[in-house]
Amino acid sequence: MTQRWKTYIFILSLAISLTWTTKIYAQAKQKQLSIVETTDSVPLLNGIAVSADIAGIIQYAVSDYGQFEGAVRVNLRDTYFPIMEIGLGKASHDDAVTLIHYTSTAPYFRLGVDYNLMSDKHDVYRLYGGIRYATTYFKYDISHPGLKDPYWDDEVPYGAEGVKCNYHWAEIVGGVDAQIVGPLRMGWSVRYRKRLSHSDGSLGNVWYVPGFGKAGSSRLGITFNVSLSI
Amino acid sequence: MRRLIVFFVIAVFLSACSSVDCPLNNTVYCVYSLKGDVEMLSDTLTVSTPRVYGGDTILIDNKVNISNLLMPMSYIQDRDVLYFTLIDASHAIRRDTVVVSKTNDPHFESVDCPPCYFHTITDISHTHHAIDSIIITKSKVDYDTEVENLHIYFKPRN
Repeated sequence: MTQRWKTYIFILSLAISLTWTTKIYAQAKQKQLSIVETTDSVPLLNGIAVSADIAGIIQYAVSDYGQFEGAVRVNLRDTYFPIMEIGLGKASHDDAVTLIHYTSTAPYFRLGVDYNLMSDKHDVYRLYGGIRYATTYFKYDISHPGLKDPYWDDEVPYGAEGVKCNYHWAEIVGGVDAQIVGPLRMGWSVRYRKRLSHSDGSLGNVWYVPGFGKAGSSRLGITFNVSLSI
Repeated sequence: MRRLIVFFVIAVFLSACSSVDCPLNNTVYCVYSLKGDVEMLSDTLTVSTPRVYGGDTILIDNKVNISNLLMPMSYIQDRDVLYFTLIDASHAIRRDTVVVSKTNDPHFESVDCPPCYFHTITDISHTHHAIDSIIITKSKVDYDTEVENLHIYFKPRN
């Protein structure tokens, strides 16, 4: 009797599991079909955009340093955007207290990729998250009217030309942009910059790093981009 | 989107902040520390040096009960000549001449920071009336006055 009950239970379990398996298989098939139906028709290479950063120009106009920056960004299915940014950083500072005049002009380069975080990748709005690797090799000049040694009483020259330095850093980027009209888009990005390695040159320190901002181990930066899809 | 705008505004303010990038201790001194039998100098000590265009100037003026000294260094002279004068309670005088040879390296800290020179002590020589010996313990002379540059051993009074 017990053996018979066990057989019934086994047959019942088998029937239930078969029913479930069939149901799950059917659901999976349906999902597969729906995926096939919504396969993205956008080509892998969906355009190239060139852009210019307005924030760096404004920064240079209202302060002692800034940058002129352009970028080329490749659109891969409106999802991934490999990007190369090239800029020219400039600094010219006169300190009224220390009488130090500091100048530097040099290019910098960034390479990275942005990812479109929007659920609808083909929306006119885009929300980006991205990373960059950046580097610059630059020189700076310092001039000063000269020091007077307070104890030894002699006039001492102070200054340097062409102090060679370099900076390498990584950036985490968050930003948005939107289509304004036709191929014209506008947007902004906020960047957290983290220095990876550096050489401050023979004078000990550097004040301004092209593309990075004021020297330090980390900085926040902002870009405001106007881009044109081509 | 509203959160993004707030984040953007905060980021603008943060990135627009300016600061003075100059350390509080931005003067360059050579640190002498008394060692050996005389770790606390009971004599009155005066240190002077000849100026470039003639005459002398006093660097340490009538100090008593000292265990270490913060000595200025010339910006660009290759050798600093220092006259140590020690006067005891009975007004007996001992004088020594110390010659510190060094390199002079212009240093840039920041545009906010006064220009200065760092130094590397390459050699030291002296007479032996009151000073027994001087040892270089840290040759680099910079903003750091926490670490001693020279250990100076005075002879005890007989």
